[in-house]
Amino acid sequence: MSAEEKTLVDRCRQGEDDAWRELVDRFGQKVYSVAYHFTLNREDAEELSQEIFLKTFENLHRYDGSFPLVAWLLSISRNLCIDRYRRRKREKSFRFVSDDAVAPLLKSTDDPAAEALKKERTKLLFSALAEIPEDLAEILVLRDLDGLAYEEIGKMLELPDGTVKSRLFRARAEVARRIRERHERRGSAGAFQTLALAAGGVL
Amino acid sequence: MSCGELERLFLAGASPEAVRRHAGGCATCARLNADLESTAEMSAGLVLPPLAASLRKSLLEIPRRTVSCDGAERLLPFAVEGEIGADDERRLASHLSRCAACAEAAETLLGSRDLAQPIAPPWLAARLTAARPAKERGLWAWILDPKAVIAVAYAAALLVMLLGFNPADLARRVRSGQIGENTRAAVTVAESSLTDRVGALQEKIARTFAIWKGRAGGYGRAAVSNAMMFLWKSSTTKERGGERSRNRDGRGAFKGTEMTNTSWRA
Repeated sequence: MSAEEKTLVDRCRQGEDDAWRELVDRFGQKVYSVAYHFTLNREDAEELSQEIFLKTFENLHRYDGSFPLVAWLLSISRNLCIDRYRRRKREKSFRFVSDDAVAPLLKSTDDPAAEALKKERTKLLFSALAEIPEDLAEILVLRDLDGLAYEEIGKMLELPDGTVKSRLFRARAEVARRIRERHERRGSAGAFQTLALAAGGVL
Repeated sequence: MSCGELERLFLAGASPEAVRRHAGGCATCARLNADLESTAEMSAGLVLPPLAASLRKSLLEIPRRTVSCDGAERLLPFAVEGEIGADDERRLASHLSRCAACAEAAETLLGSRDLAQPIAPPWLAARLTAARPAKERGLWAWILDPKAVIAVAYAAALLVMLLGFNPADLARRVRSGQIGENTRAAVTVAESSLTDRVGALQEKIARTFAIWKGRAGGYGRAAVSNAMMFLWKSSTTKERGGERSRNRDGRGAFKGTEMTNTSWRA
């Protein structure tokens, strides 16, 4: 796999347009997803994706094929993602997740009530994610939202698999605990809202 | 708070049944496991945000908007020489705005063109002139060089001594008649020739000296005469009360002086 990816990179370095198109088509969606999950904003995610691919193109000579290309591609752009994540975290509205922000992440269905409930729960998930430390949050995003393998995450973050798994478990536990606590704080109002949404009512 | 077993099972890669079995007997782990399953369900139903066609197009055009570090390395020499096209220059500039290492290399290379010429210290010209290699000397200059003449003379004397030729001995042998007739004649001729030449040289020197002596005497007498005339004229002018005698038209030099001045030239 890595040898084939190394060949692809070498072809890109030699200026083959087809090779670069293949690289964009193979990894463009993945990179955009990661960027979107870190920024929750379409314009920011597109700008970040451009920066990631620009940096990738300019640093193709550094790829030696020793690990998966997607991990290398994300590792050289990790600082960009984390910088953007921290910048967003400093904003007061960071923990407020809008409907528009989660809309691209939801499947459109014929059931508006189920869709509304799903939207509400997704907002809750991202709000809880914003409250946990960033070293835990980034692993949960990469694994549970972007579907990267443990090995790819480990290569990207330069961590052993055991540490990746351990942090992932702690991240999930932290997010789950915060979601439950938020439910508990809302009390009957939250329960009523959830029930109303589930029943297809409009608040 | 979990008892920690749930995390251990997760790290060990245990099956969901093993996790549920443990959660069935541990209240805290049961609660955590329920929360985890709920959260997993939340994220599992999400889809990836779609990549816009405009973004894909923009990503595909990246090779036409910038260059890699390799490309920058190839283009920089042309940029330094000013032989770079507009497109390549724009791509290079785009890369340099983001790559600190290449930007530094470019700044160093391009900056070398704008360095000011160093100002020569004031003593440099004099030193360079002094250090200029001497003009080539001709053969005659070497031969007539006093040092060369002395060296040749010494070498000749040494050679003569080494060969056993003693000039004093030769003179004695000429006087005592211990040499052959031919040799005696040759020595005699040479001696008379040398005497003639020395005599002629002495005569020439004496004649030249006499000529210069006569000239010096003539100039000396003329100088004395001029000085005396000048003194005489000064005293005459004082006696006349400063009046000057002029030519008939009222201009020109003094009449008396003019005549006197020309007298010594005759």
